[in-house]
Amino acid sequence: MKISSYDQLNAIQLDALKEIGTIGSGNAATALSGVISKKVRISVPKVSILDFNTALNILGGPENIVAGIMVRMSGDLNGIMLYLQEMDFINVALDSVLHETINSYDQLNELSQSALVEIGNIMISTYMNALSSLAGLEVSLSVPAMCINMAGGILSVPMVEFGYETDKIMMLDGSFSCDGQEVSSKLLMMPDFKSLNYMLDRLGVGNID
Amino acid sequence: MISKQTSVGIADMKITRAPGTLITYALGSCVGICIYDPVLRLGGMVHIMLPEKISNHDAGNIFKYADTGISEMIRKLEIFGGVTSRMTAKIAGGAKMFDIPGDANSSVGNIGKRNVDSVRKILQQCKIRLIKEDVGSNYARTMVFDTNTGQVTIRSFGRADNVF
Repeated sequence: MKISSYDQLNAIQLDALKEIGTIGSGNAATALSGVISKKVRISVPKVSILDFNTALNILGGPENIVAGIMVRMSGDLNGIMLYLQEMDFINVALDSVLHETINSYDQLNELSQSALVEIGNIMISTYMNALSSLAGLEVSLSVPAMCINMAGGILSVPMVEFGYETDKIMMLDGSFSCDGQEVSSKLLMMPDFKSLNYMLDRLGVGNID
Repeated sequence: MISKQTSVGIADMKITRAPGTLITYALGSCVGICIYDPVLRLGGMVHIMLPEKISNHDAGNIFKYADTGISEMIRKLEIFGGVTSRMTAKIAGGAKMFDIPGDANSSVGNIGKRNVDSVRKILQQCKIRLIKEDVGSNYARTMVFDTNTGQVTIRSFGRADNVF
């Protein structure tokens, strides 16, 4: 049975997705730890299936300002990967890489923005590498793009992208903490339905009723 | 002054009368459309995500699409006594949040612009005058619509409020 709505995902398939999230985020955490030379821990990744208006509230409300780094997936998987960073994470990252901190988002200059994009790019690529070797998928990633703006506007990008297929959004999300300090950053993977089915097939859980 | 603020979600539509205020948060590539009948001080706001309904596959939410969303809102406004010849529209949104090279010509890359084009076309077809807009660029907008005056305020990050 092919999935055409997120509600059709059964417990085994959700577990498989969670496992992908764990492996992807685990690898991304190792990469992050290498870049910022700090211990990085991950929380247990979640699969969240939320309607649009609920999804906006998980990131501190639609008007909360965040820095988002987006990469488009194509090939065996099509969809979007988003890495969202909030101020506390940005300061931990910039402090380790450039020895500077900021108080507001408009203090981010070209160099610090570029550093944050690169951190996002490294984490997303590592995540995808781990996933593609696990499931035998060939995925190419676009050049990363950054947007510092309202969380609602950023999250509307994947919502609109899948808007013709669904009224809900599925996010595989992983959160990280650095040096025992809880900092807010989230890595979201959002495949389209065709890719989701393909990925579940490759993981051997595509046809469970 | 006591005013009643009603929040309009994504792919959602609300109608209110003075002194009510309608608000929709963080329009990215989505477009918010406010239609106002100044005589009745009756206003409606719809937050659409996509330019047009293309199949009957998704029978659910008509407010997700510009074409079905706007015509349904006009129909509802007429039920409340609104008259199309008096109605005016103000729109905001249709931004392009992320600029991925090579993405500009894909169907999704320029969805904001397609949304705005579709909204303009539909308003014209419905014979509603579009009097003001704040669209495009690369930032999200929160839209507040005051039915006392028909005034729209656009809040955005790092920019002064735009009142029109």
